[in-house]
Parts: sequence; C-alpha cells; structure tokens
Amino acid sequence: MQHSSQQHMPENTPDSTVKTVVVVGGGNAGWLTAGRIAAEHRIALQKQSPHHPQQALRVILIEAPGIAPIGVGEGTWPTMRSTLLALGIRETDFINACEVSFKQGAKFARWVDGSAEDFYYHPLVLPQGFGKTDMAGFWQHGSQQQAGQQQIKGWDWSSFANDLSYQPAVCEASKAPKTIRHPEYAALANYAYHLDSGKFGVFLQKHCIEQLGVEHIVDTVVAVHSQPCGDIAGVETEQHGVIHGDLFVDCSGFSALLIGKHYQVPFVSCRDVLFIDRALAVQVPYDSPDAEIASHTISTAQDAGWIWDIGLQHRRGVGYVYASRYCSDDEAHATLRRYVGPALDQLQVRPIQINSGHRAHFWHRNCVAVGLAAGFLEPLEASALVLVELSAQFIAAQLPANRQVMDIVARRFNDTFLYRWQRIIDFLKLHYVLTRRPEPFWQDNCKADTIPASLQDLLLLWQHRAPGDLDFTSNNEVFPAASYQYVLYGMGFRGQPPARAYAPADWDLALSQLEHNRKLTAQALATLPSHRELLNKIRQFGLSPV
Amino acid sequence: MTALVALDPKFHHTCYLLPEQAQRHAAGLQLIPLVPAELSYVAAQQPIVLTKQADSGQFVLSALNGFVSGENLLFAEHSQQWQGLYLPLQLQRQPFFLAQHQVLALQPAGADGSAKDNSPQYTLCIDPASPALGQQDIGAPLPAGAQRLWLPDGSDSEPFRQAKGVLAELLQGEQQRAQLIEQLLQLQLIQPLALDITFADHSSLRLQGLYCIDQQRLAALAPDDIVRLHQAGWLPAIYSIIGSMTQLYRLIELKNQQLVAR
Repeated sequence: MQHSSQQHMPENTPDSTVKTVVVVGGGNAGWLTAGRIAAEHRIALQKQSPHHPQQALRVILIEAPGIAPIGVGEGTWPTMRSTLLALGIRETDFINACEVSFKQGAKFARWVDGSAEDFYYHPLVLPQGFGKTDMAGFWQHGSQQQAGQQQIKGWDWSSFANDLSYQPAVCEASKAPKTIRHPEYAALANYAYHLDSGKFGVFLQKHCIEQLGVEHIVDTVVAVHSQPCGDIAGVETEQHGVIHGDLFVDCSGFSALLIGKHYQVPFVSCRDVLFIDRALAVQVPYDSPDAEIASHTISTAQDAGWIWDIGLQHRRGVGYVYASRYCSDDEAHATLRRYVGPALDQLQVRPIQINSGHRAHFWHRNCVAVGLAAGFLEPLEASALVLVELSAQFIAAQLPANRQVMDIVARRFNDTFLYRWQRIIDFLKLHYVLTRRPEPFWQDNCKADTIPASLQDLLLLWQHRAPGDLDFTSNNEVFPAASYQYVLYGMGFRGQPPARAYAPADWDLALSQLEHNRKLTAQALATLPSHRELLNKIRQFGLSPV
Repeated sequence: MTALVALDPKFHHTCYLLPEQAQRHAAGLQLIPLVPAELSYVAAQQPIVLTKQADSGQFVLSALNGFVSGENLLFAEHSQQWQGLYLPLQLQRQPFFLAQHQVLALQPAGADGSAKDNSPQYTLCIDPASPALGQQDIGAPLPAGAQRLWLPDGSDSEPFRQAKGVLAELLQGEQQRAQLIEQLLQLQLIQPLALDITFADHSSLRLQGLYCIDQQRLAALAPDDIVRLHQAGWLPAIYSIIGSMTQLYRLIELKNQQLVAR
C-alpha cells in the first residue's frame, strides 16, 4: 500500500532536521506543550553543557501581549500529577502558587430527575472489586432484587458509587485525599486538582523559562510565511521579525491562527450532539477564610444546562453553561443568580461563547494544534486540560526527527486524537441521555438522532452486561470502563442483571468487596484531615518529596 | 494527654525529683525523638530512623524501639528498666518540659517601625503525673534517691540543674536536627525504608512510615556536596544513621526472644 506521506515531502531542503519548535500562544496549552518538549529533550542541560556547542533542539514560545486567559478549564484529571512530575515541578510549589485544591471526582446533582435528593458521584478511585469480578453485574442483581438470593439482603444497593467506592463519603465530609505525611504526588485516595487558571499560566511560564530552557518572545504574530511546498517557514512578529522554525505548535486559542486562519483546516461542529453554546462565568469569594472547600467539582443541572462549582483555596469558580436555543442570556443570568445568591450582583460575570467541536484534523503539514485551537467542548469532566496534556506528551515523545518522518507522526497524531475527541463526545453525551428531567433541553438530549451511533451501540450492549474493558480496547482510550459504570448507574440506568448461574463462592467474593468498601470508608474518614486543614498545612510546612 | 503545669516555686517547693525513675517514661514508646548530637551513642544500641510528625509531616530523627505502635523492646516491663546503655535526652529531661509560646507584642512597635520581638519564648513546665516527680507530705521524710528541686538557699539542686541543661541541649539540638533534615532533603538522601520481616513464630510484618539514608545517592554525591556536608559536620550523623541499620537485627532478635518466652 502506498503511503500518502510522500506527497507532502518538501523539496529542496538539504537539511530537514527538526531543530526549532515554535509554539504560538502563551496560555496553559502553550506552556504545557513547550515545557513538555523542553523537559523531554533536556534542553536546559543542552544549554549548560560545553559538549553541546551546537544546540540540538530549541523551543521558542511566542506570547501575544495583553491577552487574558479564557480561564474555564480550572479542573484537571489525575494525569496532571504525571505531567507536573515530567516537568520537574514540586507539588508543594504548584499547590501554593496556583491556589490549588484537591479534586476527588465530580458530584452530579439534579441530573436524573431534578429533585433535591438527586445526586451521584463520579469518583476517581476504581469501584471496589473492579478487575476481580463483575461487581457491576452483582450490583445490578442487588439493586433490582430480582435474584431472590439471600445474600443480597442486609445491603442497601441504592447507590453504585457509595456501595463500591469510599471516595463519595470522603467528598461529602469535605476531607482531603491524603495527609501531610504523604509525599508529594502520593495519596490514600486518587486525586486530580482544581487550579487558578491565570496563576497556573504564570507559574508554568516561570518554570519553563527558568528551569526548562524554553525561549520566550512577547510579541504579536502578524503574518505567516510559507515555504514553496506549503509548509510554514516562519511567523512574522511586530517587533522581532520573522521567527523561523521546523515545527509550529498552534496554541493560539480560539483564534486558531495557524490551523484555522492560515491553513483553513475545517472545523467539525458537534452541536447536534452537545447543545451547550454559552457560558456565564463568575469568581465567588468565600464567606470566611476558614470556609470548607469541596474536594470535588459540583455540577448541578439546570433548566437548559448545568452549573459548575469549583472550590479553590481563595475563591470558588462558578459558571452556568447553557444552550442558547433553550434559554435566553437573561434567563441564564437569573439561573446563575439563584445558584450564587444576591452576592452575584456585586461580582463580574463574564460571558463565554462555546463553539462545540474540533478541527477535522489537528496536525497539518508542519503545524499541530493543541488546546482551544484544536477544539473546545463544554467543561464537563475536565476534558480540556487532559487533551492538552495528552497532546503535549505525544508531541514530546514522538517529536519527528526530520521533515521526512513528520507526516507519519502527523497521521498517527490525527488518528489518535480524532479517536479521543469522539470518545470524549460520547462520554459527555452519556451524562445527558438517561435523564428523566422534563425540560425541552433535557428531553431533546435523549432523542436518538442526537446520540452518536457508537454510543447507541454501547447503550444497547449495556442492557445485557456492564461496561467493561472489552468495550474500550484501544491504546488511546481516555475514560476507563469504570467511569462509564459510575455515570451509567449513577444516572439510574439498570440493564438486565446477568442471566447466569452463580456459585455461593461468587456471591461471597462480591459481598466481601462491599464489606471491604465499608471498612475502607471508615478508615478513610478516620485518617484523612479536612481539605482546608491540609491545604493550610501544606502552606505552612510543605509536602515532603519522599 | 499529660497536663503540663508551669513550674512555680510557690506551688512546687514541696516537690522532689526521682532521677532514676525518668527511664520509666520509655514504657510503650515505639519511637523516641533524637537530636543529631546523640546519634553516635544511640547507634551503638538500636536503629535510628527518620519518621514524619503526624501534625506537620516534617521529618524527625527517632530511635526505633519496636515494630508496632506501643512496643518498646528495649524496656523491661518487670523491672521497669531501660535496657540500653544510653538514655536519649528526651527521657533524661523527664519530668520537665519546655512549653513554647509566641509572645504577642503588647507594646507598640519599636521606634524604627520594627515589630516587637516575636521569637518563641519558653516556659519551664512539669508533668505532675511523672513517676520521676514526687510530692513530700508534711513532716514526712524524703524517699530514698529523692532530691529536692531547690536547695535551702533557693538555688537549683544538682539534678534540677542537670535537667535544665538537658532541656537547653534539646532546644539547640532541634534546630540542628532541622538543619540536618533540610540538608538531607535538598540532596535527596532520604528514602523510604522498605522492610518485610518474618519473626520466629512465622508472623510477618511490613514496616511502614520509616525512612533511612539513601546510600546509593550518598555514594554518588558530587565532590562539592560531600565537602559541604563535611564542613557542616553532618557526616558523622549520616554515618551513624547508616551504621545503626544493623541494629535492626538486634531488635528482631529481642522480639524473637519475647515471642519464644511467651
């Protein structure tokens, strides 16, 4: 089979080694990508070493002056811990500099039927017994009381996450996932972060420049210079002339300077699946300096969307994401005011447009888009930063050595990330399709023609068995099967319990897992400090690296 | 928890010391905090480990007495005697404590605008429940071995003076300990002590929460770093901790003897 990569081979380039990577854009996406490449290639060492008179690789980041970050992505995944480690960042420094709090999952309130008691958790620890036995199958037997088994008595079976994970109880008690004695990045319970997006950018910038050897240019890109073959030769800036490079990373945010404006790579909208297209964001101060900090993202469903609520050390970040087709901006503002309270009148509310979707491909010729330039979805399940991390990791690890191999890497990148975007869209949609809320926004979300065929297939399969690893067999999966279980059963989905025989030992194993989770819950509640208390201690003493 | 009481001659002139009884505070202590100056003595009798304080997560140096919380294999229950040759300063100081408190500036800031002295101040306290402390009943003779805190002329008695000296040594030692720990962390010389032990009765145990010196990293230190450690005087302390690891075998042996005797 002929590979199309030959078509893009630039001609008349005697030396096509990738020696300079130019990152356009100084937001979190830009710095994470530049930092990851610089760290992977030990650029700071190259610079120090007298044995490298000819530097092997340069990473230049061009940041436009006076551009405020969008600041919506303030929640991360646990992957951020690996990313920070790879960048050589001390967790203590990060936590103290970026007003960080620990995130142990998400609490979805009023998504099922809208009642006050309606909530479920998507925690970050795996369900107890996951991988040992089909706990979700047993749990469905229990919750439907159909098996007529003695063993299912004495257990509640009302909440999948509470029965099989200790983390919801830890979150409900506003407790931290670790103690001051846990080393940096280690924990009792798996965790991610909430962070102040603006401060994170400043923190990353300083680290990337001072520790990792990233070169920083503050200037505005005014034009793109092309090579005859169509590759980008350089970007022209107002004051620094043309910055030449071999690979260009477009982290220019919504303006998508290179991938959109220059290359006109089409944008694939997914508004037919995910209806959200607006957000109203606000920063809400705490009532008192020792107010409790939630150790999870709170997502509360509303008439035409949902409200995110993220507790940082110094403030909360709150926002209503909604679909303008179902709700006027004024109605949205009133909804946000009902949630935040009259205090909202004194606060600055920022409107944000959300154009849900992504580029048809992300790596085009010698340009790859990362972050908002690549695409954007509603901030459900914190998928924005994780895609940046995964992209940065991919580019750093598979950085093409020269132009000849770049198209191969580009094709892999595009395959990988198209798959990931589709899986994320499916997973976000899963949160909507099982609701019993009556409003048109929610009912329309349940209509079959708005649900991707891939998700419809899965929902059909899951009528007869629980989501399992066999449903997600790619190396490029984003969400594990456990996440689908938490959301599926949290939303009240009940399939047919497995129609199979069970030996008494099977039930013994399953019930021992429930028992074990009870024990872990008690232990965790007894051991873990309050979230605020731990954050204060980290400020006072720091976490130890070992 | 012991209620600490500030020492006051008005109230405590009838108290007396039983210095030989200070060692009884070792009962049930799995770990005893140490300061750098005493490491070489301790290393001759038992393992020295690094542990983290529960409330701050900060590293401290500790003498290891047992394998589970509440176990002190170097303390003989029947005779109430410490079995080591050397009694750590934290026990020698009994029944006295220094209670730390910040002195809040009651007076306005100095003329130069500087804040008033906010350095920690210490109050000498006693533990009224200590077996090393007794109270003389009116007219009763002092028990054997007992010594008063104050002599008739109001000056400190010899054992009281000694205890105060120990407290001063501890105070200075804690600062040195903090400097040593900082240096060890900076050079990444602390690593978790991963140890699975099987005892004579075939029970086994995984030691957790204990740390030791990373000898590989120590061996690989750059010459400049080694010189710095030498000049700061930390090398003896570091090698005492390393050398004390062999005392783990002694501790296991003590545990086995106890298991067999049962």
